[in-house]
Amino acid sequence: MSEEYPLERMAKLISDIQKAASELRELCGGIQAVERNAERILASVRMLELNISDALDIAGGGR
Amino acid sequence: MYWNPVLETLPREKLAELQLRKFRRIFSWAYEHSKFYRELYKEAGIEPGDIKTFEDIRRVPKVEKAMMRSLQRKDPYPYGDMLCVPLEEVTEYHQTSGTTGQPVYQPDTWQDWEWLAECWAYILYAHGFRKHDRVFIPFGYNVFIAFWAGHYAAEKIGCEVVPGGVLNTEARILKMQEVRATALMATPTYLLRLAEVARDKLGIDPARDLSITKIATGAEPGGSIPATKRRIEELWGAKLYEHCGATEIGSWNYECLAQSGLHVNEAFFLVEIEDLETGELITEPGKMGKMVITAFDRLAQPCIRFDSKDVIQWSPEEGCECGRTFRKIEGGIFGRADDITKVKGVLFAPTSVEEVVRSIPELGNEYEIIVSRKGEVDDITLQVELLPESQARRKAVEEELNRQLRVKTNLRFNLEFCKYGTLPRYEVKSKRFKDLREDAR
Repeated sequence: MSEEYPLERMAKLISDIQKAASELRELCGGIQAVERNAERILASVRMLELNISDALDIAGGGR
Repeated sequence: MYWNPVLETLPREKLAELQLRKFRRIFSWAYEHSKFYRELYKEAGIEPGDIKTFEDIRRVPKVEKAMMRSLQRKDPYPYGDMLCVPLEEVTEYHQTSGTTGQPVYQPDTWQDWEWLAECWAYILYAHGFRKHDRVFIPFGYNVFIAFWAGHYAAEKIGCEVVPGGVLNTEARILKMQEVRATALMATPTYLLRLAEVARDKLGIDPARDLSITKIATGAEPGGSIPATKRRIEELWGAKLYEHCGATEIGSWNYECLAQSGLHVNEAFFLVEIEDLETGELITEPGKMGKMVITAFDRLAQPCIRFDSKDVIQWSPEEGCECGRTFRKIEGGIFGRADDITKVKGVLFAPTSVEEVVRSIPELGNEYEIIVSRKGEVDDITLQVELLPESQARRKAVEEELNRQLRVKTNLRFNLEFCKYGTLPRYEVKSKRFKDLREDAR
């Protein structure tokens, strides 16, 4: 069933979001409204990784 | 159909590959971040690089609740050395109910909390919960984890969530009716209680007067006991779906729409079943054993080869009509290894009585089992309630109870018929088995 989904592209986008949210958290200069919300985004991104990125090379899937 | 088709239909050999990889990752995480785990593993002579096969996993020392208790109430307070993250990263506190001793504290980071909700999203989606559902949760939101993650998962799925927290039972029923809730989450015990109060005190027939079509249940064996499941589904005019979980573990399995066993979420958990006496690994279906479980992705206080003492068995059915490849267990949790005890020399599982009581329509939902010792001989008593309208059939009910109990348990019980409404009522987990023998444990 994995072949039906563009897993590689999804994993790339998940990685991009992860990098962007991490960068945002680092450069916010301690603004709590940014830091804490970026932290929450990263927790959600982790769920995307568990669901897609972790299984990417095992599940196969489309590009 | 699936919350995540990629993982839920992964071929089994690929699933095994994923599990091995994820076990290595959580093992390394615990080794590097927890003093307790590092010392435990060093003592056993195992390092992260040593885990190459499932046989290697079997060499990893197990963790028990008693060990967790002894570690806690120490620094970093109150979690002790099992904690794998700085204390300030903990955002959630919960604890076990303490039914088997001192409660165990469970810290979670926000990411862990997202993960708990993710586990539950798999559960609720498999049960048929969808965006259009209005979900009522009659749960006293507190230190016990119970339906907290169910609440967050229902939101994640996109359901409308109605929290029935501080309302009493009658107010909860009226609120469900008022908002026309379509789905519900509660323990089997409380579902029976809600239906009883609706009928006896409010004149409401849940099957006729409420709009509930699906119910998520757990925390007790009832959801997998056919007579209890049937009784609840008839009372509510709704489908009942079970899952299992625990505070220290997370929610690790779920029933799908096929209602033919509970799928273990094998992408998030590794379940091993061990023979109750020899400790040997059980892989074949239909043989009961004790569950040892690993949660792959919970980080603050990892659960690695946790000896849950829950007694389960693999299902004989390979595959499922739903298409999921996650292996199933059959019959849910039969009880705790601690609760399965010898009475009059016969191995006795208290849950076997529930199937009997709930299959007799003249009996109320409540019952109590009391084991005591008279001289040198064990004595076992079952207390039940005859429904007010069934008083004339007492003799026939007694005969039927004796017959079924004999077949299911190989024991002869003393039967006590209590006045309807006098046995204890429970709102979350019930405690219906009382072993009064001094050397019972």
